[in-house]
Amino acid sequence: MITCEEFFAEFADYLENQVSPEVRQELELHLSQCRACHVLYDSSRKTVKIVTESSSFELPRSVSDPIIDRVMAKLRTDRG
Amino acid sequence: MSFLKELRLEDKFGPFLAFQVAVGFIPNLLRAQSLLPRVIEAQAMLEGAARLREGSIPRVQRERILLSIAADRKDTYCISMDSKVLSSLGAADGQIDDFLNDYRRADLSAGDLASLQFCLKLARHAPSVSSEDIEALRACGFEDEAILEAVVVTALAVYRCTLSVGLGPGPDFGPRKLTSTRIDPPREGVRHSLLPDIHEAARRKGPYVPAPYLSPKTFAPFGVVQKSHGFIPNFFRAQTLRPDLLEAELEAVGRILLPEDVLTRVQKECILLVVSAANLNSYCVAVHCNMLRGLGMPSEDGDQIAVNHHESNLTESEKALLDFAVKLGTRGSEFSCDDVVKLQTLNFTDEQILECVVVTALNNFANTVQMGLGIEPDFAPPPVFEENKVHLSGAALTPTQSEGAVCLVHTLQDADAELVAQAQAGKLEAFEELVRRHTQLIYRTLMAILGNPIDAQDAMQDTLLSAFKHVSGFQGRSKFSTWLVSIARNTALQRLRSRKNIESLDEGECNEEGDLRPRQVRAWQDNPEQSHSKSEIRQLVETGILALPAKFRVVVMLRDIEQLSTDEVARQLGLSVPAVKTRLLRGRLMLREWLSPHFTASTKGAVQ
Repeated sequence: MITCEEFFAEFADYLENQVSPEVRQELELHLSQCRACHVLYDSSRKTVKIVTESSSFELPRSVSDPIIDRVMAKLRTDRG
Repeated sequence: MSFLKELRLEDKFGPFLAFQVAVGFIPNLLRAQSLLPRVIEAQAMLEGAARLREGSIPRVQRERILLSIAADRKDTYCISMDSKVLSSLGAADGQIDDFLNDYRRADLSAGDLASLQFCLKLARHAPSVSSEDIEALRACGFEDEAILEAVVVTALAVYRCTLSVGLGPGPDFGPRKLTSTRIDPPREGVRHSLLPDIHEAARRKGPYVPAPYLSPKTFAPFGVVQKSHGFIPNFFRAQTLRPDLLEAELEAVGRILLPEDVLTRVQKECILLVVSAANLNSYCVAVHCNMLRGLGMPSEDGDQIAVNHHESNLTESEKALLDFAVKLGTRGSEFSCDDVVKLQTLNFTDEQILECVVVTALNNFANTVQMGLGIEPDFAPPPVFEENKVHLSGAALTPTQSEGAVCLVHTLQDADAELVAQAQAGKLEAFEELVRRHTQLIYRTLMAILGNPIDAQDAMQDTLLSAFKHVSGFQGRSKFSTWLVSIARNTALQRLRSRKNIESLDEGECNEEGDLRPRQVRAWQDNPEQSHSKSEIRQLVETGILALPAKFRVVVMLRDIEQLSTDEVARQLGLSVPAVKTRLLRGRLMLREWLSPHFTASTKGAVQ
């Protein structure tokens, strides 16, 4: 079986679902037998899910509209 | 004797000795590279592994393949060299003539005939090879290892022919003439239009042979690639069935591409990029665009070189070097000593010209292996390249490439293109609409760099004004959204500088190398997001992201919050894809550490 270090070398691609079937097989064998890496994988996957679904840093229209309006007004005045 | 100066190397020089022992003479093709002994070593390694050593395909059959491809390309140097070797292996003169004139008359077994036809097809027009050709080989009893070997032997033949055309070595033996009655065997699968072939080839995806996992720890060459590239390209992963071939290729690549004593890395990557583009090899185009970005070239410049280097901002002599490489790599029959002289008059040294020839040969080797094995891309090719492929295929086929010049201006398909044109004509409403489309992207880019909402909102106003001021200069070399992000980035960075809060987006590469592996190993809940309200989670995530060092924050923001693809993030930030992946993982793991106390199983329900 591959070592934790070898597992970790492929981890970024595995998390992005970008490994070949052969590599996937090795990684999943490792995951089934190594609790630490399993926790790492499971929590990282959940982290990505939570972060992507958090709608963080969404600028509400109530804030963005006045900014855009101000800019457009300035551009229109500059044009004369 | 050849086109370039030669030095006298002793016969006991390792590669010379090896050839003397294996084939009984030192080919002039090797002597023609004496200005750079390291490239002779590279060729000797490739030949040693793919041709001279015992393999899955009998040695004599591999020699027949080499000879037939040389004959197909009417490469008189290689024909004379390979005929001699084949005859020393016991082939009768009559049989050798059959390979030179029409291999179908040579009395071959069904299997030998099938592999020869496959190799000829791959060498003639690699994009036409598909999974069906591989299945045909399997039906004749070929094992995966033999298929891989056939592909690499073909690539070696292409490599040697490219060298012989580019270097013009004197014949090792009396020339062996092709008879004037030579009948060209049928060109299976080669069509007039190139593009349908490509789509057809994409029908069943590669890679065509299994690629067992090979660890960078136990297979040292992978460890070296991991270090030098930051990742192991699929190109190498797809050949793990034969570590011996792989090792030789990696050694050769190391000797040809990595040293900077003659041409620079950037110059060599440009050669690889333009010749791959002319060969319509999207995989290799994507790889080399990324390598160039990793070497500091802006993405639009790399894209422009891929589509048409004449329109790029390279110097005239650099363009001439690339013209030379494209002609050698794709239109060998038109290439002559005059092309070499042309570079010499532009003050290129013989060493530089030699290295350019070798890099071009290596490129054709790689293009052949990639298409022959159906290797899946690591990265997306530049969208402009894909869209312009149809023009490019025309350009690759006609000698007057520069007349069919393709410039990127207005050729990129972008949903914003029409509005951009209107905005450039001064229509304010069009500009306003564009801005509204991309508000979130701009804001998140600013937040990522500045790290606080008040600054980001201020900077938003500056960004929009600056975008309007410069919109007429936007040339469509990238997507409009990419261009907007670059304006936002510059605006934000300017602000950071004036605030004297210099938090670099690029420095400190070294700490990316450190041990990323986390210590926190408590299991998380099954559905962690259900234990907190949406607004609590958002608060947690936002705080966590703002606490990240800027270079990780920017990548996480664009990839996970704005949800651009990794390729797009790389493009927008002018980074290579591997660099983005490393930073992304680092950022995600830091966020994981930050979120962990809130979501581990034992804290379930702690916050209600």
